[in-house]
Amino acid sequence: MVTVAFTLNGKPVSCQVNETEVLVDTLRERFYLTGTKKGCGTGDCGACTVLLDGDAVRSCILLTAMVEGRSVTTIEGVGTLEHPHVVQQAFVDASAVQCGFCTPGMVLTTIALLEKNPDPSEDEIRTALSGNLCRCTGYQKIIKAVQLAAERMRKGN
Amino acid sequence: MVKEKYVGQRLARTDSLAKATGAAKYTGDIWMNRRDMLYAKALFPPYGHARILSIDTSEAEALDGVVTVMTADDLPGKNGYGGMVPDKPVIAKDEVLYEGDPVALVAAETKEAAERAVKLIKVEYEPLEGYDDPAFMLDPSSPMLHKDNPFHKNHNISDEQIIRKGDVEKAFKEADVIIDNWYKTPLVDHAYMEPDVAIAQYDPIQGGITIWSPQHAVQLAKRAMSDAFGMPQSRIHVCSQLVGGGFGGKEDSTFDVSVVAGVLSIRTKRPVYFELTRDEVFKGTGKRHPSLIHHQLAADKSGKILGIKVETIIDKGAYKSIDAIPSRTTQYAGGPYSIDNALTHSWSVFTDHPYGCAFRGLGSPQAHFAMECQMDELAHRLNMDPVELRLKNILRDGDTTIWGQPMMEERGLGLEECIRRVTSDPKFNEPLDNSDPRIRRGRGIACFMYGTGTGSATDGAHVMVQAQPDGSINIGVSASELGQGFLIAMKQIAADTMGVSIDKVYLDYADSAASLESGATVASRTTVLTGNAIVNGLEKLKERFAAVAAPMLKTGKENVVFFDNKVFAKGLENEGVPLSAVIAKAFSSQVPLGAIGSWYPPMAAPKGDGLGDKMHTYAFGCQGVQVAVDIETGEITVEDALLACDIGKAINPDTVEGQFEGGMAQAIGWALMEEHFMSNGRMKNHTFHDFLIPTAKDIPNLRTIIVEHPNVLGPFGAKGVGEPPIVPGAPAIRNAVYDAIGVAINEIPMTPVRVMEAIKKSAEKS
Repeated sequence: MVTVAFTLNGKPVSCQVNETEVLVDTLRERFYLTGTKKGCGTGDCGACTVLLDGDAVRSCILLTAMVEGRSVTTIEGVGTLEHPHVVQQAFVDASAVQCGFCTPGMVLTTIALLEKNPDPSEDEIRTALSGNLCRCTGYQKIIKAVQLAAERMRKGN
Repeated sequence: MVKEKYVGQRLARTDSLAKATGAAKYTGDIWMNRRDMLYAKALFPPYGHARILSIDTSEAEALDGVVTVMTADDLPGKNGYGGMVPDKPVIAKDEVLYEGDPVALVAAETKEAAERAVKLIKVEYEPLEGYDDPAFMLDPSSPMLHKDNPFHKNHNISDEQIIRKGDVEKAFKEADVIIDNWYKTPLVDHAYMEPDVAIAQYDPIQGGITIWSPQHAVQLAKRAMSDAFGMPQSRIHVCSQLVGGGFGGKEDSTFDVSVVAGVLSIRTKRPVYFELTRDEVFKGTGKRHPSLIHHQLAADKSGKILGIKVETIIDKGAYKSIDAIPSRTTQYAGGPYSIDNALTHSWSVFTDHPYGCAFRGLGSPQAHFAMECQMDELAHRLNMDPVELRLKNILRDGDTTIWGQPMMEERGLGLEECIRRVTSDPKFNEPLDNSDPRIRRGRGIACFMYGTGTGSATDGAHVMVQAQPDGSINIGVSASELGQGFLIAMKQIAADTMGVSIDKVYLDYADSAASLESGATVASRTTVLTGNAIVNGLEKLKERFAAVAAPMLKTGKENVVFFDNKVFAKGLENEGVPLSAVIAKAFSSQVPLGAIGSWYPPMAAPKGDGLGDKMHTYAFGCQGVQVAVDIETGEITVEDALLACDIGKAINPDTVEGQFEGGMAQAIGWALMEEHFMSNGRMKNHTFHDFLIPTAKDIPNLRTIIVEHPNVLGPFGAKGVGEPPIVPGAPAIRNAVYDAIGVAINEIPMTPVRVMEAIKKSAEKS
């Protein structure tokens, strides 16, 4: 077992984990942050995406021990039912949510994209989202949601 | 009189914000803070077909934290379960017939202990030949997979269906042209994002059990698992949390996980959690049936189709599951066309593969792939425009289908409009850029029809409606929220029917204890069947409340109108009373506030030879695509896709478009990349990095047109929408590739390897 101290959704936390424990299990089973989904366990589907110091990463192939001293943001850390993040609201307004299992990962990938590139082209959006699989939407309204969020963020609302 | 205030509006789904913020709870999100929960694992075999010689569980049982280890000798009931028939063993006893047959089960205090314990179980196997080829297994001299096959006199056939209409031999004799080709479609996974999972909790009060598991049919689940649990169906309580995608797959796969959690819970009297890894989902759960289709089409030289002869061999996999594919492939073998003479014949055949189950379209995509490729082959042969050829043959008012069902405009018959709107689209008619000799561009179309509902005698829907004295309404429905948006659509239908604001409608859904048998959330049936049942139930309440309100309003009950949470006499909108006051009055006047709403479609009427009315209404559609083919790499890019689909009435156009777009994307995956490779009964690719589904980079801008030819029997005119959009994509892409490179590819997926082989073969021929 190792003790890992890191920042989780803006607050300092620490926990004791097995050396082989992956971050998605730590988040879900130790912190009950179940918004982070586990879809494949092999880093392919992107449902477990979290932000690590602002970068979108796959928490199912990231050892918890490796986040020592770093900042992890999950879907619960970016907005709430009462105060959703502009990207979360855009997903709602663009009807980009169907079964919703990929949605937290999509939202976090979008936040990381727009942080670096506030005005992405459609092709840049598709490239950024290409590590997040969605089986319901054909990505059509997800792309629209990202464009809507980008527009609203540029306008500052 | 019902005013459409919500129906037809693009209202935001009720579940989207909860899902986007991570607040929504799926089945896998509700176990980990339960201290009493046991964690289950199953031991799966390293063979696709093997005899089990011995099992030694002693080391696993001795492991710290292990509560129980079960083999086939320890079951509480019969060793079988299934949606149609209980033919799939809970735990394999003497033989495994595919990689998804569990050999032993473990329940332990922790996940780690369960995972370690299954590795300590020692099984001695005698490997047997794995049967991969359904055409081989169809031969009566082939080896027997199931001993004493109860389903057919030929030992490996699961189901056989035939449609015979008119005089096919005469039609083929008189034909000017006969188009004769073979088509092949692959074994593919649904690839829903949420892996299969179940929680089971034994009920010591009445000797029952509660199951939480994402699925399509909480009522069917009671029947499917009753034998395995050794309990009457009534004691099984099933809840489906939000479902993280299903597409038909979780109609069956939920049973695979639920029986495991269930028998362990019955044995230990503890709650049990069981979740499959993605690897286990790929190897073990149901798939879209692969098909091999021999399609012969006879036409005269004007392009009129005279007859078809179609034989379809379907890979059933190891167990029966949902076995409607022979029925659907015979039904749709002639596409949406008026054809007087038909002989269509299908067999589903057992192999050592994952069982074929329901998957969006249920055989219709396979059948339409062959037929719509044949239409383009015919157009080429006759040097006809493929659009004109289709318009010449499509089903119109009064025509009968190959199964002898008359088509009626009053049930919605918008195919011609779909074809015209796609083919007259300006972008679809822009000149193609073929300036680069390496990149060849082309366009293709495909048409289809798809029935709403199962077309079976059991099809029907029943709901519970309950008015509350504060003016709000509860509706108990068994349907599941799979992501399709049924919650918002049902609220829209209910609010307009009852004349209340939409926030007054609350659905008690996907819980077998809060709903009635209503059929599965499959077959594109929920909006129409459950929607109609809700309308029926609310109309019953309105009739009662109108009688209560009439004296309050000093009018006759036939003049009472419900709108905007008020009840008023016709024409006197400003003088009404709140609905809540009327309900409160009813409550204190011995007028019941609850009712059961029911709806049945007109009874399916089989007349022999596969003929007779099936579904009461059909969605129709046409898709156009533009592709670019790189003739040096064989890579196909879908550059444009436009789908027009007649779905009667869009209750919520946003969610309807969502279904269109999702179906179109799945069709691109099926046409171009998705395929499981099986060898000796073992799956060769079982991760998302070797079983590829489309990413955002593989899908073009998806364009959709909602066409509305109302169905007089549907709620507000609706027909089913969930499955239809996947049907035309693959043949439209194949026809576009044909247009681009002049090479016919009759096997999907059209991977770069297959495209290069086809180009090479075509060059050798010419």
